[in-house]
Amino acid sequence: MRKLIFISSFLSVFFISAQNKQILYDFANLPQTLLLNPAVDFQGKFHIGVPGFSQLSLHGGFSGFSVYDLLAADDVSINDKIATIYKGLGKTEFFSFNQQMELLNIGFRLKNNSYVSAGYYQELDILFKFPKDMIDLYYEGNTMVNRRYSVNKLAGQAELLGVFHVGISRKVNEFTRIGLRAKIYSSVASASTKRNSGFFYTEEGTDNIYKQHLSNVDLFLETSGIVLPSDVEVDQSYIQGQFLFGGNLGVGLDVGFTYAPKEAWEITGSIQDFGFIYYTKNVESHRIRGSYELEGFQLDFDPATPDTYWTDLKDDFKDRIARDTIYSNYINFRPMKLNASISYSFGRKRADDCSFMNKVSPYAHKVGGHLFSRLNVVHSYIAATVFYERRFGKSLATKITYTADPFSYANVGLGVSLRAGAFNIYAMADNLLGFKNVYAMQSANVQLGMNFIFGAF
Amino acid sequence: MTINPRKTSYLFLMVLCFSCTEPIDVDQLDDASLDSSYLITLIHLNLKAPKFLDALNQEIPVTTDMVSMPDSDDLYPYLKRVTFTVKTRNTFARNFTLNILFYDADKKLIYTLKPVIIVPANSGELTHILEIPENDINIIYSTDYLGMTMSLWKSTTGAVINVTDTSEFNLKSSMKLYFNFKKV
Repeated sequence: MRKLIFISSFLSVFFISAQNKQILYDFANLPQTLLLNPAVDFQGKFHIGVPGFSQLSLHGGFSGFSVYDLLAADDVSINDKIATIYKGLGKTEFFSFNQQMELLNIGFRLKNNSYVSAGYYQELDILFKFPKDMIDLYYEGNTMVNRRYSVNKLAGQAELLGVFHVGISRKVNEFTRIGLRAKIYSSVASASTKRNSGFFYTEEGTDNIYKQHLSNVDLFLETSGIVLPSDVEVDQSYIQGQFLFGGNLGVGLDVGFTYAPKEAWEITGSIQDFGFIYYTKNVESHRIRGSYELEGFQLDFDPATPDTYWTDLKDDFKDRIARDTIYSNYINFRPMKLNASISYSFGRKRADDCSFMNKVSPYAHKVGGHLFSRLNVVHSYIAATVFYERRFGKSLATKITYTADPFSYANVGLGVSLRAGAFNIYAMADNLLGFKNVYAMQSANVQLGMNFIFGAF
Repeated sequence: MTINPRKTSYLFLMVLCFSCTEPIDVDQLDDASLDSSYLITLIHLNLKAPKFLDALNQEIPVTTDMVSMPDSDDLYPYLKRVTFTVKTRNTFARNFTLNILFYDADKKLIYTLKPVIIVPANSGELTHILEIPENDINIIYSTDYLGMTMSLWKSTTGAVINVTDTSEFNLKSSMKLYFNFKKV
């Protein structure tokens, strides 16, 4: 059990968090940076990721508490720890998880010096937000008269999908590049609940001591690819088919720019996943809505026929709180990500009279700041990063980041990219300060991958 | 300062591979418990004179009723005790005794809630608190019917209830369930 907790908590810091790839963004001229900003000035002539291993990306975070907050081996009783955690919870907490695995990533330079890249990756994205009112109702009960327990902030979205993409980075003038990436989404399974409303409360009654209300309750859950017809056999070929254009399809765009107003200065920006998925296959949605008031019941004093009050109440509740199953098609917008950065580079090796350089060598140092935001109906948040990138010749580039996000104000990350000829391997992780006690970590991101890059610096 | 790329890479891999942990104690979860309580509104009555008279307008000394109870197995073993709050108001010139009774599936009496409620004649609002203590809580799981008996005391003043009497007997009630959630 202890090992299980250790492994799960260790993995959870990878499997949970935001989708911020602050280390990878604009780092070391890696082809994967094109997925974060399609306008990046990738320097190679041709690249191909090692199929299946060009990028494995895991992100995770829970804003509420860590394993260590709950299970630290100290003199504090577990119930006091639970009470402390409970008091520390905000009005809403959220859990998020994102995993991506690239199966194909390839790119080449055109004669007009634009760079085209394309590929396919699989993604699992989960974000769940729950209101503290629901925890209050469980933790404290409903004995506070007139206290309203709302479900308004209950929201979540989970999506398993495959993404085909093709993009181009093009120089438009001496200072500016723009990029565009088109995407086709093929959703394997999806569940989302966003427009929830209503509350429960107890007030002083008129005919009885208390009157209890379920007021304007409207809970809506949309699913696709989860409830399947009985004749569907879920095997490997079915799953593959769903990932490869056989699922619910959608389209999206990434757009970006880079702007270098002065030598060594660069401003970049991008929008990722501006798009939607239209769900038409294996759709099943559920809606519960209505209002209900209860002030108790009266007796008719006929002992020969016992009242079926509870059964009547149950039937009446079913009549007034409608539960519908809906099979209509629906649209969900993808969680959109925004990136913006500014950087200053220095330490470039200069040509002298005795040498001839047919390429501009990269700067050895780069410092800057990066802003990230995820915009979504379920939950939106922002993260800010400052970074320092250091190149050591052709073979090694490193980047260290300091990020403030909803999980931590002191998130230190490190990335390393190594080159040996055309072969490139990279790895990056954040929340390194948390590695001194993995159990205390509330979030982390990791990206790993291997590429072959030809014609780069 | 000379930085060796190979050493830097090793350092990175070491950071990833040799993370540390502070000790945790998973077994303490066995001791975790949570006490919470829930209010449920219950019976309310507004009884007038005809309710205590038969077809010949004679007083009915004992009035009873019974309601079937929902399945309570889901509450086991977390429900620890139950309290009932009963508020009464009686403008009849007669005393009443009120019993809340628990019956099994065969309608056999298995438990009487204590204390028995006595509602004096011409009394204003009185609040009565009754409890199923922890020692008796298992009675809930055997209960299939909940009954209420109202007993009209014999008149000591000669006052009787007749059909034109405008007096009322009011009753309001609620139940509070006390839970202790923990690993069992």
